[in-house]
Amino acid sequence: MDENTTTDSPLDPAGMLALVRRQQRDIGLQLGGAVPYILLAWGVSWTLGFLGLWSVDGLPTGLPLGAAVAVFVVLFVAAGGVSALLGIRRGRGIRSSPDSAFTGTVYGVTWSIGFVGLTAIGVALIQRGLGDLANLYFASVYVFFCGIMYIIAAAIWHAVPALVSGCWLVLVGATAPFFGYPGNYLVLAIAGGGAFLVMAVALLVYRAAGRRAHV
Amino acid sequence: MSDLDPVIHAQARLRITAALATLAPDESIEFPRLQELLGMTAGNLSTHLRKLEDADYVTVAKTHRGRTPVTYLELSTRGRRAFEDYTQALRGLLGEHP
Repeated sequence: MDENTTTDSPLDPAGMLALVRRQQRDIGLQLGGAVPYILLAWGVSWTLGFLGLWSVDGLPTGLPLGAAVAVFVVLFVAAGGVSALLGIRRGRGIRSSPDSAFTGTVYGVTWSIGFVGLTAIGVALIQRGLGDLANLYFASVYVFFCGIMYIIAAAIWHAVPALVSGCWLVLVGATAPFFGYPGNYLVLAIAGGGAFLVMAVALLVYRAAGRRAHV
Repeated sequence: MSDLDPVIHAQARLRITAALATLAPDESIEFPRLQELLGMTAGNLSTHLRKLEDADYVTVAKTHRGRTPVTYLELSTRGRRAFEDYTQALRGLLGEHP
């Protein structure tokens, strides 16, 4: 905001209403400015990570399995780190009530509990002879779980975009195994990672358009 | 125009109120962070916050993080309602539907 705000004098009603909208938009951008970049980080990690896994048997000269798994893990850890860092920066200096903090903590911990639980189930299934079907199990249940967590986030914080993307991820996770291996990884890369990239770009374009409209 | 709340009907205080209204009702913000978001000087922000606090529109909570004093600010229920009434009155004056 660059207008002179030291004055006590009001503008006309249209000017004051415009000031409210401009100010709230500006705060929204400052507090939520990182969201497209968080989506971008996840979009890149999902797209490249799943493409790497698909390439193992999907391309004649694909990555070796070990390398594809390592790339996948590194990209996911990096995206998680970017999200955490940008999330912490957003919440800097803002305090929520104990009730909200409890909700946020339970929600955050549920991510870890879910991933650990689904991994444990997968390991147990492998020990009982799951074999190559593990390729279908792990990727799909993780994506499906992400979708469910997005939907829960939408319910808690009334976020419609989270609801839409959560439903999409549930759909992608649940249908990917029907494409078999390695096609399921290609589906997850394009429809899963691609969805994050589309959302990130759409948000950046929307903001740029809004910025031009307010100049 | 005379019906518009004189506490909020000033550019600086309207900006402060509008900014605080973007936070959830149970969230509060540290003084320096609010100052950074609004791009106002500490003195200017303090002056206008005092007027909002005197009208019971803003709640100020002073606490400590270690030995450092921290001041948290939030819009009171009264302040949130006043802001909603004010913007609704503006829309009414401009012939916009609420």
